[in-house]
Amino acid sequence: MNTMQSSAQAATAARRGIVIEGRDVGKSFGGGSVIALEGASFSVKAGSFVSLVGPSGCGKSTLLRLIAGLIDRTSGQLTVHGRDVKGPHSDVGMMFQRATLLEWRTAIENVLLPVELQRTVTAADRARATELLAMVGLKDFAFSFPSQLSGGMQQRVALARLLQTGADILLLDEPFGALDEFTRERLNIELMRIVGEVGATTLFVTHNILEAIFLADEVMVMTPRPGRLARMVHVPFARPRTPELTLTPEFNALVAEVRDILGTH
Amino acid sequence: MADVVTQMAATGGKSLRQRQNATHIGIFLTLILLWELGALMGWLDPLFFPAPSAILTSFWRIYFAQGNIWYHLYVSLGLVFAGFTAGSILGIGLGAVVGMNGLVRRFLQPYVIVLEATPRIAVAPLLIAALGFGATSKIAIIMLVCFFAPFINTLSGVINVDRDRMELMRSLGASKLQVLRKLVLPEAVPVIMAGERLALTSALSGVLVAEFIQRDQGIGTLILTYTRNLNMASAFACILTLTLIGFLIFKGMEKLDHHIAYWKNEAGLRRVGAKRAQAWATAQRGQSNA
Amino acid sequence: MHEPRDFLFWPARVLPHLALLVALLGLWEWAVASGSVDTIMVPRPSAIMAAIFELYVTKGSIYQHFFITLAEAVFGFLIGAGVAIALAVSSSLSENFERYVSPYAVVLNVTPGIALTPIIIAWFGYGMGSKIALAAVICFFPIFVNTLTGLRQTDPDREELFRSFGASRRQVFTQLRVPAALPLMFAGLKIGLTTALIGAVVAEFAQATAGVGVLMSRFSFALDMASSLATLLSMTLIGLLLFYTMEFLDDRVVFWRRDARMSAVSRARARAWASGAEK
Repeated sequence: MNTMQSSAQAATAARRGIVIEGRDVGKSFGGGSVIALEGASFSVKAGSFVSLVGPSGCGKSTLLRLIAGLIDRTSGQLTVHGRDVKGPHSDVGMMFQRATLLEWRTAIENVLLPVELQRTVTAADRARATELLAMVGLKDFAFSFPSQLSGGMQQRVALARLLQTGADILLLDEPFGALDEFTRERLNIELMRIVGEVGATTLFVTHNILEAIFLADEVMVMTPRPGRLARMVHVPFARPRTPELTLTPEFNALVAEVRDILGTH
Repeated sequence: MADVVTQMAATGGKSLRQRQNATHIGIFLTLILLWELGALMGWLDPLFFPAPSAILTSFWRIYFAQGNIWYHLYVSLGLVFAGFTAGSILGIGLGAVVGMNGLVRRFLQPYVIVLEATPRIAVAPLLIAALGFGATSKIAIIMLVCFFAPFINTLSGVINVDRDRMELMRSLGASKLQVLRKLVLPEAVPVIMAGERLALTSALSGVLVAEFIQRDQGIGTLILTYTRNLNMASAFACILTLTLIGFLIFKGMEKLDHHIAYWKNEAGLRRVGAKRAQAWATAQRGQSNA
Repeated sequence: MHEPRDFLFWPARVLPHLALLVALLGLWEWAVASGSVDTIMVPRPSAIMAAIFELYVTKGSIYQHFFITLAEAVFGFLIGAGVAIALAVSSSLSENFERYVSPYAVVLNVTPGIALTPIIIAWFGYGMGSKIALAAVICFFPIFVNTLTGLRQTDPDREELFRSFGASRRQVFTQLRVPAALPLMFAGLKIGLTTALIGAVVAEFAQATAGVGVLMSRFSFALDMASSLATLLSMTLIGLLLFYTMEFLDDRVVFWRRDARMSAVSRARARAWASGAEK
């Protein structure tokens, strides 16, 4: 790999403050017979919170996995920090709808997993893990096993684990989708606070329009068959945001706009 | 994703499958040839490891030239059928009764644990001594080894019946018998069938042990006699016969399982769905004619 | 299905059971004494007790046989389990290995292993070798199939997670696949251990000079039913011993499946962490 060139690219991207950039990104399976995503062009600014919203089959999860390098694109260009995405890389961390914790490890051991897979765990790592568990509000549950925790608590552990990777880009695939409405709302607000604290760039997949707008600086509205990026919608509301925001006319106008984009396709 | 994978397998899979089958056959033939060669060159003692060709010859002899295996097969399989039927009826029946009755279950539990830990086939000599030589003691042995799996599985199927559905049935005013017939037993069917599969396999082992001990007739006695006479090729032919029977039992039970627990597989759902739609339509027509 | 400790260590629950047992034995004794049941077919409980006393206490002749059978079952199990786990691990690591080896394992499965008894005795002789061999052969399959199923069950989300953490194939195997397979593997080991005992006993029935199976045959054919039943008890004891050993190991290794063990492990890890932080 040409280091000079890539560092130059990285520098240009950094100057523009863009961490993820895609041009005509496409993904098809089965030798082109199934198109999961087509012609997606977008850029994501450093430290911003971007929601990906759309119905099932619109390619949101595919796009997330492409950015993580878990699957390879079939067309277009995709860079993270100005570097071409080829295979899994350590700039991003992922979180899924299921907490995917290892049930034979305690909460804190789960949080330390990403470190352990890379190198020997140090005292500093342990301190960081404790700190992160406190940040997600689970200070007293460090040595509980996943099956002793509620669904919401398990997702908190998964979030702490994600932050422990040190990745500055967080890819969240419907992280709270399996939780009840109340827990989900509370976790969403905490998520905003936490990513604000660590200053991470966040991509958040959801099929809930309200949630998408409430959390994000930008909303990528996606439509299915084949998966396409229909439009980027800017969300202008100031932070910190409270649930009351969702009752304002401005917010609802934005909801109507997104709904409209989804409906016309 | 899964769909995509299946699609890929369907389009590009045929030649791959053929190649794999060829490799399978190749490996198998190589093994057989090596074995044959080993016997031919005297590396393997023919008294203990008969050559494949010798086994094939024995097959011909015991099935056609002498044809003596048929009678023994008939005897053994008849016993298996009788013992299996009796044992599984007893097992399922008792399992349902015990499962529905909490008190009986509580008092039976230690005995079940003890029975579970005892190698049940070990009772074989005792039963033979008590019931005498002959078919009765053999059937009793098979019954005993068959009984347990359907019993335990029916029991756990009945106990683990879905709580919400149970409440629904109660709220609809179902009687205890109705609950058993319309909810508990159908829900337990897949588990019971799994028990029946185990039972049938045990039945085959049971008849062999009974015949090893009694040494009068049947496939077990035949294997024992051939081995004693150091006619290993024929003993192997008998065992391969049992492999075939075991395979047929396995496939047959699988078919039966699909048929009985039709709601657990796609084909079964389509088949029964179509049949019921037709029956319904016929009934409708009958009504409108009347 | 059952929590054995509940009734072993809880006198309040044991008493009603004991009462029922005593009542049943009394009824049995009375039925035999009154002559309504054939004494040869069904010995009196008191006669069985006497036989147990003789075999286990005054003569103590059972123990030699007891340990021989136990050793046969355990060694057979260790060999069978070792081969089964090695093959299952190889199969899970290599698709080709699995594709071309598992058909033979399936053939072995549908063949009643017991059928091999006479041949194995011819191969390995009348001594312990043949019993160990039969035990190993017939306990192989449940362990193999459970371990393989366990290792093959993959959770795509977790695999992706490991990949996104940059885990190596080896790490995915040791940190994810193996622990996830342990519960099923232990279920297989439990079945296998029981099966191994059956193998040892059946081989003893067929031809042997020592072991509880031989003892059982001898007593039965001498129509000494009381001693037969007393011998059967020793088989039950071996069975229980093996079962609870396995249960104990299962409890220790697959601790995350049981609440009580989980809390204990959780406390132990918290302590270890605290003492590690002090250093």
